[in-house]
Amino acid sequence: MLENEVEIKNSAELLKTVEGLKNDGYRYATMICLKANDGHDLIYIFDKDYKLKNLRYFVKPGEKPKSVSGIYLCALLIENEYQDLFGLTFEGLAIDYKGHLYLTPNSPKAPLA
Amino acid sequence: MTTIIPFGPQHPVLPEPVQLKLEIDNDVVVGALPSLGYVHRGLEKFINTKDYNQTTYICERICGICSALHGITYTRAVEKLFNVEVPERGQYLRVITGELNRIHSHLLWLGLFADGFGFESLFYECWKYREAVLDVLERTTGNRVIHSMSKVGGASKDFTDEHINLLLKTLDTLEPQVKDLERVFVNNYTVKKRLVGLATMSKQLAYEAGTAGPTLRGSGNSIDLRDSSDWDIYKDLGFKPAVEKDGDCYARTKVRITELYDSIKLIRNAISKMPKGEIATPIKGFPTGEAIMRTEQPRGEVVYYVKGNGTKNLERLKIRTPTFANIPSLLLTLPGIKLADVPLVVLTIDPCISCTER
Repeated sequence: MLENEVEIKNSAELLKTVEGLKNDGYRYATMICLKANDGHDLIYIFDKDYKLKNLRYFVKPGEKPKSVSGIYLCALLIENEYQDLFGLTFEGLAIDYKGHLYLTPNSPKAPLA
Repeated sequence: MTTIIPFGPQHPVLPEPVQLKLEIDNDVVVGALPSLGYVHRGLEKFINTKDYNQTTYICERICGICSALHGITYTRAVEKLFNVEVPERGQYLRVITGELNRIHSHLLWLGLFADGFGFESLFYECWKYREAVLDVLERTTGNRVIHSMSKVGGASKDFTDEHINLLLKTLDTLEPQVKDLERVFVNNYTVKKRLVGLATMSKQLAYEAGTAGPTLRGSGNSIDLRDSSDWDIYKDLGFKPAVEKDGDCYARTKVRITELYDSIKLIRNAISKMPKGEIATPIKGFPTGEAIMRTEQPRGEVVYYVKGNGTKNLERLKIRTPTFANIPSLLLTLPGIKLADVPLVVLTIDPCISCTER
């Protein structure tokens, strides 16, 4: 558990919370992806006045998480990275490299999954 | 009708491979799509085979320019898992090495930038001055590029009085040289003509686009992790972030010039305040839990996430480098720019592909 962490239950709550953070003046720092209980934990990290706010969202096996790139455009690279490395599929990505941001068709599939 | 022109992966202004697919209407950019993955190394996977101490050496090899600050950020993140306090002298040694890193990184960038707008001799000058910094790093740490100054628990090497005298002498020589460079980069008519008003990002746009470092501060955002309570030692050294308001390529250049002076001042202050004593705390056991650590690298904020599970190997290491944060801003700044200005705009984010392609 990280400091200043909030657990998010579903994708609707995630988008609403991220939108709220943007309105409150938070800057998107990055997102972490971890393997957890057959699924994945996504930790969204935001910064304001050097203080971090972390949102943890559990992605169930087979679930397609919603992209936040419609709210913070800069999220598109990290979400594409996790499509490559963890085999996740983000719905609504601003630019979708479809698993080929880094990987070529002959590369190993989802090497961090 | 628009045309797609590939900018890179091999291009005279790009020392490392990255591609931008530029959508051009006549000679004006109307869209840009970055393409990565030419040299991706998979280091976040590779560390699964290394213990947490060996991972320090992997992190230092992410990038040859900000190597010391990668090592420092990683070790500070692991120290947070162990909840250990690094001796003050160890912290000062880290600050000095980190600021020397920033100086040679900015001088390298100024040289590349000069080359980008056709000042070949200025490129040579910048890199000549940078050599002196690399020489002092070699004399003090034993290595020119990968310094290995930080280890989990503190610093791995101490400076002798001879090292400190050499360092001060080098800074005394370097300061007037930076003044000479400043005269050209800040006052030269041609340089200003090419940079002023180019690829302007407002304060809010740079903030919301998640940019970092001089790209963020060049748009009027006073955000520099050396100014945060994460690393108190910088407050004792009288640090203030370098900020410019105009948000264009010229402003981003001026931020880096100011930061050269700031780093010289910080090193002098650190040397004058550095106490005698231990440089590291012994560490026992294996790391457990999760931690995030951020440091201000030459290109901006780097974010390290570490997760330990009580074994010698970390369960997860995630690194968000500043260039990774700055690349999306090109999608916003390049449209409307003439094709001939694209190299300058790309260079002003100081792209480090080695960092991006961890």
